Amino acid sequence: MKKKIVATLIACMLVGSLAACGSKSDDNTAAKEDDKGKGVTLNVVTTYAGNDGNAENFQEGVKAWEEETGNTVSDSSQTSDEAFKARVAADFQAGSEPDVLFYFNGVDSNSFVEAGKVVSIDDIRKEYPDYATNMKDEMLGASPVDGKNYSVPVNGYWEGLFVNKEVVEAAGVEVPGKDTTWDEFMETCQKIKDAGFNPIAASLAQVPHYWFEYTIFNHDSVKTHNTLPESVDDENGKAWVAGIEDIKTLYEKGFFPENTLSGTDDETVQGFIDGKSAFLLDGSWKVGGIEEATDNIDNFTVTYVPAKGDRKATDLIGGLSSGYYITKKAWDDDAKREAAVSFITKMTSDEMVSKFAGTSATALKEGADVDESTLTSLGKDGYHMISDITGIAGAVQDQVPTDARGPVFDGMPGLVSGDNDIKTAVSEVLEMVKEIQE
Amino acid sequence: MSNIYRNKKPLLVFLIPAFAFMLVFLYYPFFVNIWNSFQNIRGLGNAAKGLNSPWYSNYVRMFTDKNMLTALKNTAIMVVVTLIFQVGIALGLALLVDNIRRGKKFFQIVYFFPIVVSATALGLLFNLIFLYDKGMLNQLLEIFGRSTLIDWKEQAHALMTLMIPVTWQYVGFYFIIIVTGLNNISGELYEAAAIDGATPFQRVKYITVPLAYNVICTCAVLAVTGALKVFDLPWVMFPKGMPVNSTWLTGTYMYHTVFNQNDVDYSSAIAILIVILGVVLSKVVNKVFKQKDY
Repeated sequence: MKKKIVATLIACMLVGSLAACGSKSDDNTAAKEDDKGKGVTLNVVTTYAGNDGNAENFQEGVKAWEEETGNTVSDSSQTSDEAFKARVAADFQAGSEPDVLFYFNGVDSNSFVEAGKVVSIDDIRKEYPDYATNMKDEMLGASPVDGKNYSVPVNGYWEGLFVNKEVVEAAGVEVPGKDTTWDEFMETCQKIKDAGFNPIAASLAQVPHYWFEYTIFNHDSVKTHNTLPESVDDENGKAWVAGIEDIKTLYEKGFFPENTLSGTDDETVQGFIDGKSAFLLDGSWKVGGIEEATDNIDNFTVTYVPAKGDRKATDLIGGLSSGYYITKKAWDDDAKREAAVSFITKMTSDEMVSKFAGTSATALKEGADVDESTLTSLGKDGYHMISDITGIAGAVQDQVPTDARGPVFDGMPGLVSGDNDIKTAVSEVLEMVKEIQE
Repeated sequence: MSNIYRNKKPLLVFLIPAFAFMLVFLYYPFFVNIWNSFQNIRGLGNAAKGLNSPWYSNYVRMFTDKNMLTALKNTAIMVVVTLIFQVGIALGLALLVDNIRRGKKFFQIVYFFPIVVSATALGLLFNLIFLYDKGMLNQLLEIFGRSTLIDWKEQAHALMTLMIPVTWQYVGFYFIIIVTGLNNISGELYEAAAIDGATPFQRVKYITVPLAYNVICTCAVLAVTGALKVFDLPWVMFPKGMPVNSTWLTGTYMYHTVFNQNDVDYSSAIAILIVILGVVLSKVVNKVFKQKDY
């Protein structure tokens, strides 16, 4: 009997200690609530975390807003990857979505937009007429579901051709410019190859995305580029096939590094930095990456991707693919509604957007206020490049759900080496997109 | 006093929490996973859109999916390589270390060390060794007069490049298990054999190997089941089946289908296949290397 009592006591102690852990945390929460006074706690989820270049700017912005308003931000930001997307989807499914979400405005947002779990900007403006009025409405990034704007973007991106000037000089060729045609570019690449360099740094095994966009762009136009083909035989479908055929031609001519089908993006980019390759097609975020990776930033510049067909070289791929959403859950709570509007207004103010954007694209009516003296030569080149563009088209891959991209992205090595048929791969992608959308 | 030993009921109080934990976090997800493999689920966190048509379609698809067949073939090769080289090298090293007089501890630590390094770090390390441009191996070959670089990660070399580090990583683990087994063999047996005029080879053949047989069997089972689950190091070195879908393993392909392709139901079916293969193969290995009583 005694033993039973001892056992029961030990069990009670175990349960008690667990309960104590729980109650301790409750006490902490209660204490936290008290500390906050009357302010509102806003649950915020963004992608400004980890290695994101703007993670620090975000934290500073949050701190400033908290000091100004007396409210608190409970920040659960996370690096943007597939696990993050899964988490956001699961949160919305389970009804535990945040109050404010900084997230993609393409097909990735379809599920919660369709479910009516976020509030449109038109609805917000009915109560807060000045909401996001510093932005160009047509650039906010309308939802693919109903064409309405739901999110307020901060900084966008552009994709351009980075150039290692020493390599180009050593090969005796010119840096491509505003009027460089695709045929001229092919000749330039051949000369670079003949001089013993790799013309183009790219890992087709890992990051074929940029070439995918521009080679397709060369077969359509600013107006038609961001339209998903209905079938492989319509105009957009043909452009996709022709674009990938162009990548295959580049591969067959030996313009990519020898290990393009087996090397990583890091390896090929390093080759570009080290002066083994002449060109690197990448996004505006690469400006910072190159600045960090080299001691001689003046050796690098960025220019337009040579064009063919209807596209001008000064037509770029770029846009604003993410923005701040207010969830319906926060909107229906009077205190949180006010705080969410105030928070997003702060984080998307001209000053803040200019700080976040640097040389990348923005939707600001007044344009980003960039102090050129703070930029490196490469940053300035990027800034000047976007000021001379004739058109900008969003990346069509953003219309394709991640899980449907496999046949043309993961499968790119097979396509360029001739193991798989390009037309069949494009058809597979389009079929998968339809299946997912159903 | 004897009452303490007779009354086992209080033990339940301590066993039930662990059992409940396993039930909630292992067995329940496992059975849900089986159910998921018959459903249509796109993306983690999304609700199922109903049963597949036919409900077993994922299991049929597995045998027509080129990548899955590559994964199964590569995994089979991995099992054989693991069995022969991991356990074989570990046995060889253990026998050698067992026969030296000084420095046993030193070699035990040296061979065991790779186990304590994370697989991701090892993957990055071997990436540098096999790097195409400025990689350690290519630089060494350059010193010996080779003028062109070898792409160790291209299709012709990829599988070998993948299996060398995976094999190397776990040799130390089996080495330690076998060394422990060898330590349990009585020194008197060796002394008696030496007096009878047995050569060192005969001592190994007639004393060491038979008496360490059961330990080697255990290593073989662990090696086979381990080879089926191997994931981290191959994924760091050859993500997404690079190059040209030639390096898939069942573990890496399962991960890819769920996290890159959002094909949760198909990935669940692959996970079930891995479990089935693990159970079947460990049974086969157990049968082949039947434990013996000496």
